[in-house]
Parts: sequence; structure tokens; C-alpha cells
Amino acid sequence: MVKVADIERALEPTWCPGCGNFNMWKALKEVLEESGMGFEDYAMVWGIGCHGNGADFYRSQGFHGLHGRALPVATGIALSNPELKVIVSMGDGDGYGIGGNHFIHSVRRNIDMMAIYHNNQIYGLTTGQASPTSDQFMKTPSTPGGVVEEPVNPVGVAIAQGATFVARGFAGDVDHLKSLYRQALDHHGFSLVDVYQPCVTWNKINTFKWFRDRVYKLEELDDYDSSDRTMAFETSMSTFHELTCAPDECKIPIGVFYREEESFTYQDGLPQLDRPMWKHAEKPRDISEILKEY
Amino acid sequence: MPLPQKGSELRVKIGGAAGLGIKAAGQTLARAFVNAGLEVFDLTEYPSLIRGGHSTYTLRVSPRPISSHVETVDVLIAFDRQTVDKHLDEVIDGGAVIFDPEVTSTDGRLPSRRVRPVPVPLKKFAKEAGGPIMANTVALGAALGLVHFPLDTLAESIAAQFAHKAEEITEQNIAAATVGHGYVSKMAGDFWMKVEGLPDAPRRVLVDGNEAVGLGALAAGIGFYAAYPMTPASSLLHFMAAHERDAGVVVKHTEDELAAMNMVAGAAFTGARSMCATSGGGFALMTEAFGMAGVSESAVVVGVFTRPGPATGMPTWTEQSDLRYVIHAGQGEFPRVVLAPGDQTDAFDLSWKAFNLADQLQTPVIILGDSYLSDNRQSVPYFDLDTVTVDRGKLVSEGDVSDHPDALGEHGDYLRYKVTFDGVSLRVLPGVKGATQLVNSYEHDEYGWGQNGEIAAERTAQNEKRMRKLELARTLVPPPAVFGADTAEADVAVLFFGTTKGPVLEAMRWLEPDGVKVAAMQVVTVWPFPAEEVRQFLGAAKRTVIVEGNYTGQLQGLVREQCLVDTDDTLHRYDGRPFSPEMVYAKLKEVADNG
Repeated sequence: MVKVADIERALEPTWCPGCGNFNMWKALKEVLEESGMGFEDYAMVWGIGCHGNGADFYRSQGFHGLHGRALPVATGIALSNPELKVIVSMGDGDGYGIGGNHFIHSVRRNIDMMAIYHNNQIYGLTTGQASPTSDQFMKTPSTPGGVVEEPVNPVGVAIAQGATFVARGFAGDVDHLKSLYRQALDHHGFSLVDVYQPCVTWNKINTFKWFRDRVYKLEELDDYDSSDRTMAFETSMSTFHELTCAPDECKIPIGVFYREEESFTYQDGLPQLDRPMWKHAEKPRDISEILKEY
Repeated sequence: MPLPQKGSELRVKIGGAAGLGIKAAGQTLARAFVNAGLEVFDLTEYPSLIRGGHSTYTLRVSPRPISSHVETVDVLIAFDRQTVDKHLDEVIDGGAVIFDPEVTSTDGRLPSRRVRPVPVPLKKFAKEAGGPIMANTVALGAALGLVHFPLDTLAESIAAQFAHKAEEITEQNIAAATVGHGYVSKMAGDFWMKVEGLPDAPRRVLVDGNEAVGLGALAAGIGFYAAYPMTPASSLLHFMAAHERDAGVVVKHTEDELAAMNMVAGAAFTGARSMCATSGGGFALMTEAFGMAGVSESAVVVGVFTRPGPATGMPTWTEQSDLRYVIHAGQGEFPRVVLAPGDQTDAFDLSWKAFNLADQLQTPVIILGDSYLSDNRQSVPYFDLDTVTVDRGKLVSEGDVSDHPDALGEHGDYLRYKVTFDGVSLRVLPGVKGATQLVNSYEHDEYGWGQNGEIAAERTAQNEKRMRKLELARTLVPPPAVFGADTAEADVAVLFFGTTKGPVLEAMRWLEPDGVKVAAMQVVTVWPFPAEEVRQFLGAAKRTVIVEGNYTGQLQGLVREQCLVDTDDTLHRYDGRPFSPEMVYAKLKEVADNG
């Protein structure tokens, strides 16, 4: 079974001191150890960005893909070997910007896999440009006059698109994040965990303190029902915070927004995916019956 | 014209608006002739729309081997005036035009001294048989009646076409064909052409190029196919999807071509034999991930079926203008193999071989075709399934990685990218105990760690290791194919790649009676380029010519670059149409005469 120490038999992290990625790394390693899986039971996939450098920091059966294209690589893995649990890491520019098309379609397919978005609302690795989740009017090297457009609302988009598990975490609360990861890993279907992960180098506005002053947990509300899709969608609208809003006017929910316990996954619709597909290529396939049609 | 002797074969052209079922009807006719033991080759020309426009289906039928379409027509079936106007001149002297006088006006064109009009009340007969939609079936019967060919194999072929529909539909269509056949047999019973079946001929396969590629992929044990529809590759997606359950293949119609190529790389990671196919525009979107397959050493097969570009270009027409593009696509340098089938038999063989090469080399392999191959059906000898082999190269799919100590590094960690003499590392699939690894789009070290890929020595070692696979590839790939006379004795030597094969072989047959000796070489594997073989071939020849379907001379450029020689002459075509044997014949004769 997987141990944190064995996962760490990799390279030393190169993230900036204090980077939110450290806590996400810690949370995922610990959840993997708790899961009781062996290294051969799961595959990890990364896109490109600061989060993606994490590919070097986990010993795993891993695939470090292209910028924006982690989900289709992960889909190829999930749809060709039903014995592998697939865990995908993406960033906000990576997953919601350049890879936004795959985000929408992976959600609606409900492919059984876990997708973690490292959302720091900035492009870190390319030195601080605005990202699809940067707050409106934020000034960055690529938007010196301030971001003009509205940020992407990934939680809302996912719920609108029929997601069966949507959660938001905050890298400043590891225990809470671990509980989200655990639930996401257990979910039968596409599980999305968007994690606010402050960038200590390039994003001087949405800092750890900024979030601590604003986040609250959905599971602590008496009347929040995570099986109510309409309520989940309405709640997702409050993630559109404004750059200058005061802490008491701008509360940010974290936790499980929406969950469908029984969901029909893409894999459920593929009866032919009853084994790792490499097993079809142990010898030539007999096509003599098919050839008769021609 | 250097045609096969008049009456020695039959060319039928059916023309009308898109949406009338012209292609389906034509294919039914083709099947009827194949069932009767004859050889066929068809050519479908259609605009990129669903209704209206002008479509034609041309069928060539012969008791002897044929390898392409030809420019002339014996029997024209005209469903509209446009067909008469555009194609009457293609009909040979003494040929015939079947048309419905109630539907198709022939004023000013017929009667003609050259061509026999065969007016048939197609619509009326169709209505009587069950519905006006069957007018094309009446016409098929009429065409067979005209050339004194019995109806029975057409009836079989109709039954096969409508096997999945109500029995009544089959009966009505057979009735429609029968009335057309009977009417024309009486009305034009004196027509001079007579086509006879060959009852003892061996069983043939009638497939288009995409079906041949698909059958090859199935035989190779494909487990995952992903694609976004794009003409002319779409029908391969349909083929794979139609067989996903009975053969056991996961087939995904993706959101775009970027997803398709990336999914295929993901599926290759788990060891599934995986493939995607598209045309040039889709391949442009796949290109970044195609390079990723190169650096990550992923065994993937990619079909690129060319249509005239650039950009949207001419979606339903053909060209050979993507040769340089697929050889160079992708930033940076990495090894790839590009195979160019010339016909349906090649397409089947190279398709299953592509999967073996991808596994043996752990690098992407391209099957480069075009619309002429994808869209057109040809009768070919039954595919020899006994020759199909599965060679997965250095692959470990089960067990424990510790059983393979040569592939392990420090702490017993598995080295996915271990530097080896031939450039290929032992590939241990995820799921095998101890198979932790990082398959990487970044440059990387032997384990796969990306950060270490920035170390100069690691980069050099990995880059050289990958590029060495190209040398290994030279020992594994199919060699050029040669046809015709010995090069030294030939009057002219012709070099080509891909589907130019058909018209070239056809033209060579026609040149035989003229006493012109032709040697031909088909560059089957266009990358790595078989420089030595091509240089020897051209060097031994009196006169040389390259025939290729593009403007810039892409094959010629490769010959100059790789062989440091040139040819005496070239023949190009880039109007969206395939070479005809007539064009190639004229060129080869001209080059020979100039010698």
C-alpha cells in the first residue's frame, strides 16, 4: 500500500516558500495513503503550470501532459483501463482557460475520475499575467488597465453542465481539503475539486489572509443541502467576489456544493470496457466474420 | 486515346443532385458486379453539402485487374439536365445515356449521332414499384438490361443493402430493378455492349480505403479509437463505431482534434493499441500532442487523409499536398514513421503494420492517405488474415518490474526512458507491480523526471536515444515497392507515393502494347525516406519522372534533399482531382519519346 514516504521518493519541490501548492500536495499524499491503494492502482495526470511541476514531486504511475490537455489524456487512460483510478491535476489557466473546452465536455461525460484544480487566480509560471479566474479590474502585466472581463465561475459552470460532484477547497485548511479529496476519490463519476491556492509571489490581493477573512464552510450551515442542484447553483454565484469587497460583504463558500450519489458514468455506458484494452492486442483479432460483410 | 479496347470493360457514370442516393445506388451496382466475379473501381465526386449541388458516381467494371478510374464513360445515367450538360462529352462514340424524359430534358443535346439515347420512365416505374425514391434502383436495372447482364447478382446486392430494413423494402427495390431491366432489354435489346460475369473467379473484397484501414486496425487488436469528424476521415470513425461492441473497441467522438490526439496518447499509456484519424486541418490541431507522443515515446497511430488545403480548402476533393507537412509537423525533433498506402490492399497491410511499428519503436506512426483512397471502393484480393502479426516490441504488461533488473535504476526504480543502444526502452505498463514512472511531455531523465531533463547531459542522452530509433526504423519499415521493367532496361522510370499508384499502374498496362518499357517505384514508407533505394532506382534509369498531386513538388524536394539527385521531368496535379491514367500515360509516353 502507498505510504507518504514512498510517494516522496521523488524530486524536492521547487514551489515558492509559502506556496499554496504545498498544502495541496500534503493533503493529497495523506489521502492517498489513507485510501489503501497500491501504486499500481491509480494513475496521475498533470497539465502545465506551477501545479504541473508537482509531477516531479510524486512517485506515481504518472503522465505529465501538455498545457490545457490533462483531461483528454486522463480520459484516454480511464477509457482504456478500468482498473486504474485516475487523478488529474490542473491549474486555473491550464484547466479553465486553454483547456476550457475539455473541462465542459469532461463534466458532461461524467467520466469516473477525480479532477483537482489549483486555482490561484493568476499565471504563476509565466510570471504573473491575469488568468481566467482573476477578479475583474485586477492589474497584471498583461492587463495593466485592469482585467476587463468577468472571471470564470468553475463551480457554477460545472453544476450547470450536469456535474455529479463539485467541491471547493482552500489550501489554507488542509484538514478540510483532505475531507474533500476523500469524498472526491470515493465518488462514482467525475469529481471536481476547485481549490483556492494563493500565489504568494504574483497575486498580492487574493492572499491567504484575504481568503481566511472570507471563507465559510457549507457543511457548517444548517440548511445547506448538497443534493439540491438549484441551491448549489445559486450558492456558486456568490463565488463571484469583487476585488475590493470588504470581508463581511464578500463571503466565499467552501465545501461540497453538489453531489449526486448514484450517477451514470461514461464508463457505465461502455460494456466493451470490461478489461484493460491492451488485452485485445495479445494476438491478432479474428476479423473473418466482419470481413464477410465486405 | 490509349484506352483498353472498346467494349473490353464497362464504365457507368451516374449523375444527379446530392441527396438522391446516387452513391448508395452505385455501390449496390458495384457489389453486383463483384458478386459476379468482375473487378470494379469506383469514384465518387460530390460537393460539400447534403442536398442539391451536383454529384457523380463512376463505376469501372472489368474482367481483368484494374487499378484506377478512367476519364471516359460508356453508359451515362442522367438524373438531371446538369449531368447531361457536364458529362455527355465524356461518353464514348457508341455509348448510351439512360434518362427519364419526364424529369431530364435533353433538348439540344440528344439525339446525337454519337450517343444512343435510352429514355426510361424511371419515376413512373419507381412509383409503381412502391415509391419515387426507387428511381435510382430502376436505373440500375436499366443499365444492366442495356449491357445484357443478368439481374440475379443485383438482386443479391439489393437484398444485402436493405438487409437491416423491412423485407418489403428489399422486395420493392428488386421489383423496381426488374422492371427497369425488362423495359430496356426489350427497348434496346440490340445495344452492342455485352458484359459477362466470371463465375469461377476467386472471392474479392470490395472496400474503400477507410474501411481497409479500419479492418487492418481491428486485425491489429486496436483497443481505443478517438476522432473528431472531418472529411474524408469521418467514415473511419463510423466504421470503428459500428464495430465497437462486436470487436471490443472503445471509440470516442471527441470535442475536438486536440482531445482526440491527447486521449490516444493516454490510452497508449495503458498499453491499448490506439489510433486517431483526421484530415490536414484536424492534424494541425493535433500537432502539439503529436509531438508529445514523440517525446513521451507513446506508441500511437495517426491517420492523415489529405484533402486540398490550406485551411478548409476543398473538403470533398483530393490532393497529395500534406507529405512535407506530416513529415515535419511538430516543434522540435523526434522520430516518426510515415506510411503511404497506394490502394486498398496497401491500406489494410500498412494499417496493421503501423501498430507493430508504433510498438516496436515506441513513437508515433502516420498513415498518410487522401480522399481518393478514403472515398473510393476497389475490388481487391481477399485480405490474407494469416499474414497479420502482433509484435508489441519491448512491452511488459503483467507481473512485477523486479523481474526485469536491466530496466531498474537506483533503489530498484523502473526507468521508463532507460538509454539503450537501439533507442527503445523496456515499456512496463501501469498496473504492473513497481511500474511507477513519469511519462512526460517535458524533456526528462531516464525515470521521467522533468526537472532533470534540463541537465545538458540528460537532454543530450534522451534526444540522441530517441533519434536513434529512426535508424532502427529503417530496418523495420516496408521498403519501396517496384513495378514493371528493370530500371536499367526501361525507357522511363517513374517515382511516386500514395494513391498515384493506381493511375500509374494503369498507364503502365496501356503502354505495354506501345512497346514503351516503364519501371516504377512507389515510396511506401515516406519517412524515414528510403534515400539509398530511390537513388539507385533513379540512377540506373535512362529518363526519370516524378508524378505527385501537389504544386510544389514535395516528393521531388525530398529526392533532391535526401538523395542529392533530381529527375528529368515531373507531372503535377492540384485541382482537387486525382490523376487519371490518361494523364499519366501521356506524360510517360512524352518522357520516353524525349529520351
